Amino acid sequence: MNWISRIFERRKDELEEEIQTHIRMDVLARMERGETRAEAEAAARHEFGNVALVRDVTHDHWRWNRLERLGQNLRYAVRVLRRSPGFSITVVLTLAVGVGATCAMFTVVDRVLLQTLPYPHANRLVQILELGKRGAVQYGSPYLDIEQWQKRGHAFSQIAFYQTAGKRISFLEGKNGDSHVLSTEIGGSLFPVLGVHPVLGRDFQQDPASGGVKADDAHSLMLSDDAWRTDYGADPGIVGKVVHLRGEAFTVIGVMPRSFVFPVERSLPMVWTPIVLGAKDATRERNVSPTYQTIARLQPQATLKQADAELKAIQPDIARAYTDSYDREDVSSIEVKSYSESLTDSKVQKALLALFGASGLLWLIACLNVTSLMLARATSRRREIAVRGALGASRWQIVQQLLIEGLLLSGCGSLLGLGLAVGILKIFEHALTMQFSIHETLTPDITVLAGLLVLTIVSSLLVCVWPAIGAARAEIEPALRQGSLQGTGQTKHRTRAVLVITEIALSLTLLVGCGLLLRTIYALKHVPLGFRTDHILVANMTIPSYKFTGTNMTTGFYQPLVDRVKQLPGVQSASLMTEVPLGKTYGMIFTLGVEGKSAADVRKRDLKAQFRAVGPEMQKVFGFHMVRGRFFNEQDTATSQAIVIVNRAFVKAYFGDDRDPGKMIGEHLLSLDSKRDTTVQGILDDERQVNVADPSKPEIEVCISQLAPDSDFYKFAEGVEMDLAVRTDLSPSVMVPELRKVMRAASPDLADSNFTTMDQVVEDSFGDQALAAKLLEIFAGSALLLCIAGIYGLLAYLVAQRTREMGLRIALGAQRSNVMWLVLRQAGWMLVAGLSAGLGLAYVATQGLKTFLYEVKSNDPWTMAAVTLMLLIGGLAASWLPARRAASVDPMKALRTE
Amino acid sequence: MIGRSNYKNRIELLQGTLDMLILRTLQWGPSHGYGIVQALRTQSGEVLQLETGSLYPALHRLERQGWVESEWKQTESKQRARFYSLTRAGREQLASDLSRWQQMVEVIGSIMHGEPGGEEA
Repeated sequence: MNWISRIFERRKDELEEEIQTHIRMDVLARMERGETRAEAEAAARHEFGNVALVRDVTHDHWRWNRLERLGQNLRYAVRVLRRSPGFSITVVLTLAVGVGATCAMFTVVDRVLLQTLPYPHANRLVQILELGKRGAVQYGSPYLDIEQWQKRGHAFSQIAFYQTAGKRISFLEGKNGDSHVLSTEIGGSLFPVLGVHPVLGRDFQQDPASGGVKADDAHSLMLSDDAWRTDYGADPGIVGKVVHLRGEAFTVIGVMPRSFVFPVERSLPMVWTPIVLGAKDATRERNVSPTYQTIARLQPQATLKQADAELKAIQPDIARAYTDSYDREDVSSIEVKSYSESLTDSKVQKALLALFGASGLLWLIACLNVTSLMLARATSRRREIAVRGALGASRWQIVQQLLIEGLLLSGCGSLLGLGLAVGILKIFEHALTMQFSIHETLTPDITVLAGLLVLTIVSSLLVCVWPAIGAARAEIEPALRQGSLQGTGQTKHRTRAVLVITEIALSLTLLVGCGLLLRTIYALKHVPLGFRTDHILVANMTIPSYKFTGTNMTTGFYQPLVDRVKQLPGVQSASLMTEVPLGKTYGMIFTLGVEGKSAADVRKRDLKAQFRAVGPEMQKVFGFHMVRGRFFNEQDTATSQAIVIVNRAFVKAYFGDDRDPGKMIGEHLLSLDSKRDTTVQGILDDERQVNVADPSKPEIEVCISQLAPDSDFYKFAEGVEMDLAVRTDLSPSVMVPELRKVMRAASPDLADSNFTTMDQVVEDSFGDQALAAKLLEIFAGSALLLCIAGIYGLLAYLVAQRTREMGLRIALGAQRSNVMWLVLRQAGWMLVAGLSAGLGLAYVATQGLKTFLYEVKSNDPWTMAAVTLMLLIGGLAASWLPARRAASVDPMKALRTE
Repeated sequence: MIGRSNYKNRIELLQGTLDMLILRTLQWGPSHGYGIVQALRTQSGEVLQLETGSLYPALHRLERQGWVESEWKQTESKQRARFYSLTRAGREQLASDLSRWQQMVEVIGSIMHGEPGGEEA
């Protein structure tokens, strides 16, 4: 503020000098005409008129004047707030809590839901999904279907297709050895549909008839800016050079712009390889025809609805073209979805919005609390304001002054809140990024800061407009009269009581929500998982399987690696598994492909199971429990009888639960290859594979050591990803470097494998609930504190206001317990009113939580009762102090001081 | 309070004319406040006694409008004074003020001197 006032001082000085010069000149002129100096000076001054007034009127013309007044008001506000530090600190902290929570949640919502896709006119991009009897087809659609949409759909300007499944993480041979990249196969129209083109080189040559890529470009490769920089040092001559991806040679044709990503994931540098349509694309056969995901751009005048209706009309015709009646049922209908919406699933959306709502509720509680404080303060400042009014300040000026105070307070509150938000995000970073698959760092950005600014202004307006207007409207005269604190005070107390009641009701709602989620977490933590989680280290490996072509990875790579790990000191057992239970890195679902038309055959084909290839030591690591039969052992090799192990859920789904699981043993289930039929050798007890809250799913396991390269399962199981699980008593910090060393020796590409513990995997799989519960704990805890502070504040204030009355009562013979009862009664009715309103509100609000709850109902009476009791006790405790103070009033003193 | 509002009223009454007069005076060259008062006085044959109290607010207002600019210079009698001079915008403003004023003089003149209107048939 200093430089502003300096500018003012200078201008004021200049005006002063100008006026003095004027007068001096006049005096000189008059003296020349023969007047004496005294006469001349008097006359000049007289003629000039009122110097001070000229100065004042001139100041008014200065543009800066308003700013100066603002500066004065601001300085005054700082002074006023510094005079009552208790009040200021309470308000700033309260607002910081409200703004901080909201800001943190807003950052997450912004990252996950509001982030616009980095393509031009991204809102016109849609995804086309086939669906049928068994839900949406996850793996995509064959080219023939896409071709039909292209030919017959008029709502789209172009449809592009791509393929992400399979070998997503690839190895790109760069300057400094191999690096991991995300590779996506794309059709020739993908970049045109997205509306993004390479900054270096050229696009893939599109085959205009099909939308695929021309055969000349079959070995072309497009680099992302990231991959170009990290692997090739931003070499400008990269176009035309040959690079190796998974050991295959590709010619680089271009580099995409810096910010470009597709699909929207940023965890690794990206490359794109072409989809050249082949003979297999001329069929619609499961497990033969390749399938693709689609992304299309709507015509400028077409809407999503039109596009959806159009394709829905075409789709039955397409479904008829399927020769297999079973497959036909899967594609009988279609859905056109906005592409951006298809990226976040609805459960995550709901979870986020619920948390955002909770943080908003906390913000509202904070605002209510501060408003209540401001009201109390406005009442006690009535004299001061009245004096200012009497001295000529207009109502607008008084409101302005109070608004500035409010802005100052909420400004400080917001700054502190911003710090708090950064802290909350830091603490929850791991959980947030896990749950919402965010790949950027979570710090509030420009959007969030703008949001914060709006919040600041809104909260300061919310918080002080009402008390300010009330204060400015108050009659001046009664306020100036001595000791006139009654009168309008009564309605204000009532208003404050209403605020506190609302606060109690909202806090109860938050607390009930939190209580329900805590019970859910408790229930989840006690779900029998079906395996042990303690002392297990897990490494997620990405296997460079292309380096092992022509060899047997089972014997040449996996077996030696596990053997070496087992020899490490401190390792009790170790084994490989395509994916550990509850892991989220690479899930494989197995669909039984049985031929035949009998009812049993059809039922068999309906059977989907989790598929895992495991090593024989897995049972030792995880302590799986066998219901019947045996687990794999060292005798199960590529030459012995091929066996599989299924779990209890598999038996139940496959044979119905009445059947004795033991009877499954010896059944022929599938064939590892053309020669080897498998028999079921063991029934595993149920375990949770995907999500703790989900019931066990049918599962089928094969043994890694039985998979030879000629087996169909070999390429699915061994070539992609593999988890190494190690049981050890040593701490991860000791064990991990040792493991890394062994893995690097096995293959340099494994050196940067990702390590975690099984406990962490389980923790992460509690998912939305655990995160929501932790955040709600914070929100609800803050709400409880604010609420108790609100009750205390109001009662303390009332007692202070009524000291004289209390003194009089006691002087007239009232028992001290009566006086105490008076205050407690006041607290009692506020609590009863707030709690009953809150119970109603919570009953409605918690319906939204239903999807997150596990083994507890949304209107669980125990939670409601416990939370109500807690608030009641907290509220009564908060009113105890003021009540005791009221009862200990000394009548003599009370009457004298007033 | 009372004095202040009086001042304001008088300035407002004079405002249009006063601005025009000041701009006109500055057309002959830069001048300081005292010079402007004296110029107006002599030009009007001592008739126009300009209220000095309204001059400075007017000058600052004109400067804010961008019609005049100011700088500190030495007078002939070696005094430091603030000299005001016309800007390009000020010249344009003066021209439009002048034409409006002439129009007004003609209209008022024709009403004051003219015959009762030609409405009787």
